[in-house]
Amino acid sequence: MTSAREPVRTMQQLISLDYTQRTNPLASRFGQELVRGRIIGHRCPECGRVYSPPRGFCPLCVVETTGVDEVEVSDRGTLTQFTIVSPVQYYGQNERESYVQASILLDGADTPIGGQRLPGIPHDELRMGMRLQAVWRPEGERKLSGGDRAWGGSGIDGAVSHFEPTGEPDASPERYKGYAI
Amino acid sequence: MVDIAIVSFAQCPSVRMAEKPEVQLIVPVVAEAVARSGIPRSEIGFTCSGSADYLSGAPFAFVGNLEATGAWPPIRESHVEMDGAWALYEAWVRLQHGDIDSALVFASGKSSPAVLPEVLALQLDPYYLMPLWVDSISMAALQAAALLQAGDHTEADMADVVARSRKAALDNPNAQLAGDLDPEKLLTEPYLVAPLRKHDCPPISDGAAAIVLVAGDRAKDVCEHPAWIRGIDHRIEAHYPGLRDLTESPSTALAAKNAGLRDGDVEVAEIWASFSHQELILREALGLGDGVDVNPSGGALAANPLMATGLIRIGEAARAISDGGRHRTLAHATSGPCLQQNLVCVLEGS
Repeated sequence: MTSAREPVRTMQQLISLDYTQRTNPLASRFGQELVRGRIIGHRCPECGRVYSPPRGFCPLCVVETTGVDEVEVSDRGTLTQFTIVSPVQYYGQNERESYVQASILLDGADTPIGGQRLPGIPHDELRMGMRLQAVWRPEGERKLSGGDRAWGGSGIDGAVSHFEPTGEPDASPERYKGYAI
Repeated sequence: MVDIAIVSFAQCPSVRMAEKPEVQLIVPVVAEAVARSGIPRSEIGFTCSGSADYLSGAPFAFVGNLEATGAWPPIRESHVEMDGAWALYEAWVRLQHGDIDSALVFASGKSSPAVLPEVLALQLDPYYLMPLWVDSISMAALQAAALLQAGDHTEADMADVVARSRKAALDNPNAQLAGDLDPEKLLTEPYLVAPLRKHDCPPISDGAAAIVLVAGDRAKDVCEHPAWIRGIDHRIEAHYPGLRDLTESPSTALAAKNAGLRDGDVEVAEIWASFSHQELILREALGLGDGVDVNPSGGALAANPLMATGLIRIGEAARAISDGGRHRTLAHATSGPCLQQNLVCVLEGS
């Protein structure tokens, strides 16, 4: 039996696993087109919904989509929802000022782009239905990075620096009903 | 008991590295299984999937996989962090409630993004054995050594299993490794982890599979030759391998007994033996005679898409009835190191 006075010994076991995630061929295609200044999607051959970035399938109809279903969507869209985040200064929080997380439904797409920061727009001017336009990075400075993220807004930020107001009248709620985030 | 049958089965070819994300492997497989079931997707009463996020290193990958089911309007759904054979078991139990008459089961796995034996060393036992980094192949090699030392089997028996499996896989378009191999030549290959040679180990595979279950008379309505689940059971042994006699598989034998294997002779047995010596152990535990066609698909030595391998065994055993004219077949699935947990499913034609 172990003596009661023997100290408990502990050991540290640092573990890690390395994963190599290859870029999905569809994400590569999406990124290459972004570098050329085009935003593409796939139109479901059954329901007609346009997924951008393309998913290679329609999750509602369970049908595959391929290159023949590819369409270009606009670089203009509608603000469907936004949150103004007031950062709490927890450890690792680098933000100091309030910032925006917004979703934009591009014209011709059925999948809002999330996580947009919308710099330069005063927070009290933000409203659902606001019309926005992509500000492209200069040709030659566009990168493929982040292009494999299906969720969130980082899929386009290698090529689009941000969105700015177009000055058009706001879109009617009918246009973005059902497309919150 | 509610009579439940497998009415359709679909799988994608197993490959060493699938370029597409896991959900894209599942979409055509689910679409095919549902289309062939004759049950409209909107009428499927329950969906259950089997996968492990550890394999692809993608947290909540199983949630993304659900996108392959067309989960709108909302569906009744469940997931097991286990092989799809256990997802099928849950679906079978769910259908026993009697309020629904169909279920979709699917399974998927991409083992390619990491070093699989290392992933399994962490996934299977992150507590007791992990500090030793006992990987899955080393663990199997300990079992093979124990089996050979027990004296009833030889390395030549293991080579015969490999040659027969890879030859059978020549007829399986979904297999990853197939070929006409000379068992004697296999014995001249170097050891990978003695006494296992590379060919004694399964390939590393990415893949997916799906099955539709239908209860009662509706199965006869939608399927010409449904494969009825006559019995299904699974049993698990002690967590710590040192507490087990690794040369036998009492959990397989018990699951087989409870599944009613002895109630009649089976013509085909699709068993999940990841390593060649495990087929020798499983044959004994299941009491399979020479007249049984074991793994006509080639088994896990020809394709081993982890998390789908077990469901594929059940699908292949069903296909032997639905398409192959057999009457009574057996499917077996395993989980954990050295055949720790085992599931046995007995299928019959009408």
